[in-house]
Order: sequence, then C-alpha cells, then structure tokens
Amino acid sequence: MASVVSLPVGELRKSDGKPIMLRDVLGWSVDHKVIGVQYALIALFFFIIGGSLAMLIRWELLTPALDLMANGAAYNTLFSIHGTVMIFLWVIPMSAAFGNYVVPLQLGAKDMAFPWLNAFAFWLIPPAGVLMLMGWFVGPAEAGWTSYPPLSTMFSPDGQTLWAISIHLLGLSSILGAINFIVTIANMRPEGMGWFQMPLFCWAILATSIIIVMATPFLAGGLTLLILDRVAGTAFFNPAEGGDVLLWQNVFWFYSHPAVYIMVLPAFGILSDVLSVHARKPIFGYRMIALSSIAIAVVGFTVWAHHMFTALAPQFRIPFMITSMIIAVPTGIKVFSWLGTIWGGKIRWTSAMLFGLGFLSMFVIGGISGVMLGSVPFDLHVHDTYFVVSHLHFVLYGGSVFGLYAGIYHWYPKVTGRMLDERMGKWHFALTYIGFFFTFFPMHMAGLAGMPRRIAVYAPEFQTWNVVISIASFVLGVSTFVLLYNMVWALRNGKVAGPNPWRALTLEWATSSPPPATNFVGDPVPFKDPYGYGTKEAAAYVEAVEARYGTPDDVAQSSKPAPAETAGD
Amino acid sequence: MQHDVLEQELSRQERLALKNRRTGMTIFQISWMMVFVCLIVVHWQIRANFAAWPPEGIARLGLGLPTLATGLLLASGWTVRGALRRVQRDQPFLGAWRATLALGAIFVAIMAWEWLNAPVASGADRQYGMVFRVMTAFHAVHALVIGLYMWRVDRRAILYGSRDFWAVEAGAKLWYFVVAAWIMFYVVLYWV
Repeated sequence: MASVVSLPVGELRKSDGKPIMLRDVLGWSVDHKVIGVQYALIALFFFIIGGSLAMLIRWELLTPALDLMANGAAYNTLFSIHGTVMIFLWVIPMSAAFGNYVVPLQLGAKDMAFPWLNAFAFWLIPPAGVLMLMGWFVGPAEAGWTSYPPLSTMFSPDGQTLWAISIHLLGLSSILGAINFIVTIANMRPEGMGWFQMPLFCWAILATSIIIVMATPFLAGGLTLLILDRVAGTAFFNPAEGGDVLLWQNVFWFYSHPAVYIMVLPAFGILSDVLSVHARKPIFGYRMIALSSIAIAVVGFTVWAHHMFTALAPQFRIPFMITSMIIAVPTGIKVFSWLGTIWGGKIRWTSAMLFGLGFLSMFVIGGISGVMLGSVPFDLHVHDTYFVVSHLHFVLYGGSVFGLYAGIYHWYPKVTGRMLDERMGKWHFALTYIGFFFTFFPMHMAGLAGMPRRIAVYAPEFQTWNVVISIASFVLGVSTFVLLYNMVWALRNGKVAGPNPWRALTLEWATSSPPPATNFVGDPVPFKDPYGYGTKEAAAYVEAVEARYGTPDDVAQSSKPAPAETAGD
Repeated sequence: MQHDVLEQELSRQERLALKNRRTGMTIFQISWMMVFVCLIVVHWQIRANFAAWPPEGIARLGLGLPTLATGLLLASGWTVRGALRRVQRDQPFLGAWRATLALGAIFVAIMAWEWLNAPVASGADRQYGMVFRVMTAFHAVHALVIGLYMWRVDRRAILYGSRDFWAVEAGAKLWYFVVAAWIMFYVVLYWV
C-alpha cells in the first residue's frame, strides 16, 4: 500500500557536504540548496543580459541624436527587455535564490515543504527566459516593461506575445515558489522557535510570498486577456470596440505595485540579518520590523493607482495619494529600526556590511523621491520623466540590488565553504556605490528639467547630464564583473570559511559549510533570540557550534592545505 | 472530527506531510481564486463603460439552462464530498466519484452550448458576448483539467484508502474550487 509520504519524483541528488558542482546545477535536483544555487546562477546570467541592454541604452543616450540604434523602435526594444529581464529574471529569481537556500536552513529544516514543486517552479524559469530572448527573432516587445495597450496590442511585433507567455510562466513559477515558502515557514519551524523567534529574513520571505500569492494571479488574468487580444481577436483593450486601455493599467498595477515590494522585501530581510550580525548588536525593534513587513504587504494592495495619476479621475487621486503616503510609515519604521541597530554597534567593515549601509543610504533617497512622486501636484509635473526613472532605480538598484549584493557576501561562505575576497569586495563596493550614485542621481535633475523617459532622441540641452550619467553607468557596469570574478576566483582560492565565519546566531550557521545533504546532523537547537548578540549566552552558543563543527582554522587544516591568498577583514 | 481519529495512526512525518499539503492546497485555492476575481473586475470595469448592460439591441443571456447547470455543479460538489468521506473510511468511493465526473461533464456540455450560442455582435456591442465567452471558457478550462486529474484518480482508485487518501482529497478540493469559482461567475454573469 502506498503511504501518505511518497518520495518526490525525480532523482534525489544531494550535495552531501561537498560544494555544489556545475553538473549538480545543470540537472534536475530537489535539494533546496542546489535549487537555490540554480536560481542564483540563472539570475546572474540574466543580470548580465539586462545590464548589457542598459549599457546599450546609455551608449545611445550619449548624444541627443540617433546614433547607435537604427530607429526609435529598436531603442524601444532595449528598455522594454531591459526592464522586464531585470525585474522578472534577475531581482525576483535572485531573491528566490536566497529564499530557497537560506529559509530551510534558518528554520532548521531538512528541505522545503514540497521539494519536487520547488524544483518544478525553478525549471519554469529557463524556458521563460528563452522565450523572452527569442523575441529578437520575431521582433521583440516594444511597449516597455509595463506594456500598456494600445502599444502592446496594436504596435508591438510578435515578440510581445512571447513576452506575455514568458511572464505568464514566470508568474506561475513565483506563485508555486511562494506557496512552498509559506507552508515551510508556517509548518516547519523547529521546536522552540515561535513566530517571533524567527529570523527576520524568514519574515521578509513570508511577507513577500503573501504578496505573490495574492497579487500575481492578477497579472495572470491581465496577461491572458492581453494574449487573447493579440492572437484571438478579442478587444478588451481596444476602445474602438468598447474596450478600455485603463483596464490593463488597473489590473497590471494591482499586481505590479505589490510586485515592487516583492522585489524589495527580501532585500529588507537580508539587511536585517546583515546589519545585526556585522554590527554585533541585537536588532532594534524586532517585532516592528517583522510586523511592518506584513503591514507593507497589506497596504501595498491599496496604492496601485498612484501610477496612473495623470489618467485617473480627480476624485480618486486624493485617496490613492493618502494610501501612498501611509505606506511610507512601515518603511520608515524599518529604516529607523536599522539605524537603531547599528547605532553604537561594533561595526565590522565587511563587504556585506558596506553594501548593507549602502542600501540604507541609497534606499532612503529612493524612498523620499517616492513620497515626492506620491503627491499628486508634484507627480503630474514629473510623470514619465527621468525623475521617475531615477526613483525606481534608487529603490530597485540602491535598494534591492545592494541588498542582494550584501546577501551574496554574507551567505557565499555558507554556500561554497569559501570566503569571498574582502579586498575585491571593497573595490566592488566603491565602484558600485560611486557608479550607481552618479548614474542615477543626475537623472533627478534631467527629469526635473523635463527630459521624458523612453526616448532615444532628446533635446540638446539635456546632453551634459546624459554624458555624466552614461560615463557613470559604464563604471557601474564594470563593477559587476569585479563581483563575478570574485565569485569564481573564491571558489578555489578563497579563505576557508568554516561553519560560522561571522559568529552569527541564526541556524544556517549551526552546521558545516556547505551543509550536508540533510542540512543538520541531528535536530538543531535554535538560540532563543536569533539576534541576541553581545551576551555571554550568545558567545557560549557560538562556541558550542564551533566546538561541534570546527572553527575556520580547524576546517582549513583538516581539508587540503589552505591557499596562500588569505586577504581578510 | 473523523479524520483526526484516522490520522492518529499516521507517523509524525506522515502527519507533517499531510498538514503541509493541506496548507499548501488552501493557499493555492486562495491564490488562484484571485485570477477569477481579476476577471470579475475586468467584467465590472468593461460594463461600467456602457450605459446599458447588455448594450442596446443585444439580447440578455437566458437564465434557464445555466441555472440548471449550476444546480448540477452544486450537486457534484456534494457528491465529491461524499466520495472523500467514503475513501477516508475505506468504503468504496468510486460511485460518488464517477457521479461527480458525470455531473461535471454535463455542466461543461451545457456551458459549451451556451458559449456557442452567446450573442455575437460587431463594434462596441461585441463586448457583452466576448466577456461572457472569455469568463466561461476560462472556467471551463479549469473544470476540464481538474476533471482529467480526477479521471486519473479514478483509474488508480485501488491505491487509495484511509491511510492514503491525499490524491482523492486533492481532487475533491480542486473540484470545490471549480464549484466556488463558478458560483461567483454565475452571480456576476446572470444576476448582477
């Protein structure tokens, strides 16, 4: 008789304490650690693609005339695919990478609740990515990542249909992943870990997953109609036949505004962990950080129409302006809690911490410009200008990507058993921070001066700012390769990490690096407070972990002779 | 409750797996229901652009057959519940299961007839029939896919009993989803 527990279909290929090798990630695996690495690799691949498109955009915008691209339509494809790839194939999968790798470890679980579903959700991404890029064979989407009709229905080539199918698959993938996260977090916490002893990264992934399961289906509905309009002759978005273009905007932003928080909440979670660990201080306001994530998830559903202020009937503008201002409150609570966390801490200037602090400073700028845009009288003037481009990159790059970088430096030792090189990390940070700031901050000025977004040919008076922006953006582009080189270099040459190089208290560090197939030997015992740094008990807990799994030096001696290169912090 | 008694016989790990699957199914149902809510919002926004709904000169959809179909679908929700209760007690459940499939098939057939005979028009007037067709077809696709899964459970019925009924429970819960989604659509399409 078959029992309720059946082994997942597919080969159970486990890493078994060895670093995950290329052949592991190329095949089917239901191990959450392998899947996490798979997510990360495919996300980094698309990060390079999206980044190359951004470089082409900035090259084109060096001069006011058309010089690189053949025509405006070709330029449209650049920013359309750049935006879509960066959002759906870089930030969201990279957040899922950390979620997959770290959440079961932080909960002391052997795997996710549904390992097979987890692998299936991942394997929807490669075909979706291929469909997205295949657009170039039939003419790629030209309607921007927002794909407003009638641009996306009447003026965009067949690549737009592929775009819609691709996003459909990616949406399904993230819904399945999110169901997995919610069930894992709700049902699989170890004994002694209540909701409020859970690491804040898990809270962030929980809030993200709640948004995904409630909002992404709206995208699925909208995309279904868009595909039908394009291929089946319906006219939902065609006003000539009684349709409504604002219908798409409502449905799309009802998903996509919450999606903004899907993209940034995991980075918030990473930041909470990183700041507390690297400042050696208990997190300030644990409950407020945890609950403000949930508050953001809930309020995030009530603000979508602020993207449509210029199209919106006047009586609806004020309510959406008020909700948009309100959502700054839980975010502000987080920012002040993070400041309270590092205040008076023994800050270690690791690369992870630098990117954490970089996040904090840059995200605040993006948050403030967001509040400015949330106010109707201001928004009406800068709508669809570079001010908006600046704002969204400050929150998405200065927020999400800096957070993801911090997470890479923080958790890479756990994944590979090797430390990333700190000197390269600091170079990476310096180049990224400077390149980022001078790429995106001047866009505020260009936008206030009236430069519209999504145009290849602009008025000559904007050229000075655009040259500054483009040069800085090339620095930003180069900075990415410092990280990628570091990640490859450290695989062989990095300092041996040991189980707990940061002396952190959360459970993912209470096992060897990389963890064995079942993650832990025996049932792990969580420390009563995941952020209770600075007490004797905490020090004793970390020492107990080291006694069991070894310090970095023990691990280095027991494995092959440590490499000579040991640049450290 | 009935299943609590039965589940005491399961191991700790089996109970966790069952609990996970139930939580996962509930979340999936809530999540995917949002697509149907989305289509209701679409319907509502499109009709709000018209002075009259259906537009002048278009005949309102008849109530008779769809109401009959809705009644049959409700009955199928009741039979599938019976099947689930029976399999949990190791009683033969295929009778009720096949009754569900038959009722579901009649429902889909009636709605297919309605779909084919919905109003056709040109210009703005076509929105009435178009929204109706997309909503009913979208629902029917779900009914058919879930029906196929239930048919597969039927083929493999010998595997299921009081210790392993998840496949049956999943089919039943997905079918509840089909019923619940249709009730919303029925109200929106025919009564509002």
